[in-house]
Amino acid sequence: MDAVVKRLIRAIKKEEDQDAFAELVDLYKDKVFQIAYRMTGNSYEAQDMAQESFLRAYANLESYDEKRKFSTWLFRITTNLCIDRLRKKKPDYSLDAELQGTEGLTGYSQVAASEKLPEEQVVTMEMQEWVQREISYLPPKHRSAIILRYIEGLPIKQISEILDLPANTVKTHIHRGREALRKRLKDA
Amino acid sequence: MACNKKYETQLHKYLDGEMIESERTEFYNHLDACEECAAHYKELKKAVMLVQSSSHIEAPEGFTESVMDRLPVKKKRKHWKKWMRQHPILIAASLFVFLMTSSLLSVWVDQSGEELTVIGSQDVKIDRENGMVIVPEGEIVEGDLFVKNGRVEVEGEITGDLTVINGEQYLASAGNVSGEIEEVDQALEWIWYHTKRITSDVFSFGEEKNNE
Ligand SMILES: [Zn+2]
Repeated sequence: MDAVVKRLIRAIKKEEDQDAFAELVDLYKDKVFQIAYRMTGNSYEAQDMAQESFLRAYANLESYDEKRKFSTWLFRITTNLCIDRLRKKKPDYSLDAELQGTEGLTGYSQVAASEKLPEEQVVTMEMQEWVQREISYLPPKHRSAIILRYIEGLPIKQISEILDLPANTVKTHIHRGREALRKRLKDA
Repeated sequence: MACNKKYETQLHKYLDGEMIESERTEFYNHLDACEECAAHYKELKKAVMLVQSSSHIEAPEGFTESVMDRLPVKKKRKHWKKWMRQHPILIAASLFVFLMTSSLLSVWVDQSGEELTVIGSQDVKIDRENGMVIVPEGEIVEGDLFVKNGRVEVEGEITGDLTVINGEQYLASAGNVSGEIEEVDQALEWIWYHTKRITSDVFSFGEEKNNE
């Protein structure tokens, strides 16, 4: 994977190879979209943020240091974009959390769940909407740390690089996020 | 809730996998003895499990295409030049086959990175140092002449078209070009298109090798 990514990035840098860039987008689109979706709680905004992430990555590829992990650099663009977006519409991330939490998921989880059995589908849908809603209640900093840790499954060290925060601060964000989720999800 | 702040911190430390053996033993012993902390621990585990189990969402259909549509339009000539610089052997191979099949002749001059390329007749004078291509007086170039990265002076005659890419042409008063004189970039793409088509086998073989 890393060797493939390296080769693609070289091709883009040296030859402006847009086909190589398309391959790179294909490799990372799901993860980037997932982060954007979990951050914004809205599929339209997530699509916007995810596309913007790739466009910025393309425009700024020269500044990417090949010695570092590409996903770290890319996810950083995504989380920054999402946190900025959430900040701009600050008043509604807590007020509208419920609305945001369900609105976007419905469309996508329906698509994702369409191949499953009907009963399973209902349970999955309900659970997912609920969990996503609770994630949407978290303040953006706690939210991004929780998403990267538990949905993307990344180690603390990489999260600290993505969010550009000391590891201890990341841990604190995760603790706070975990506590908040515990209180909300304990009666499941 | 944990029975005190110390144990709340311990719970999170445990979940982050940051306890040493002795701390873990002490922590387990406390969970066995303290209902509050045991409940707190269970709730945390459950929250984490629920978040982890939320299914992975995929990017919508056509996502990559939408991104690609929004990319800035590529500067074709720059792209070509970069490509030329990186794959001189491939270009040479492609041109060779192109010339074989189209019965034209070519002269390759490697001049400090900028390739002076002439596709057409051998009956031209090539001044490598000044990047000049001269069709001498009295000489007749049968058919078309392509010159890339060079200045062309026509004192003789060209029966076909003269195409100058990345350069300029000068038609002496005695010189004559029967066809059209063009100084366009599209010609480059045209050559490239035909070269690639004719030599697609050689080309793809070379590229594969190159990517290893
Ligand atoms: Zn206790």
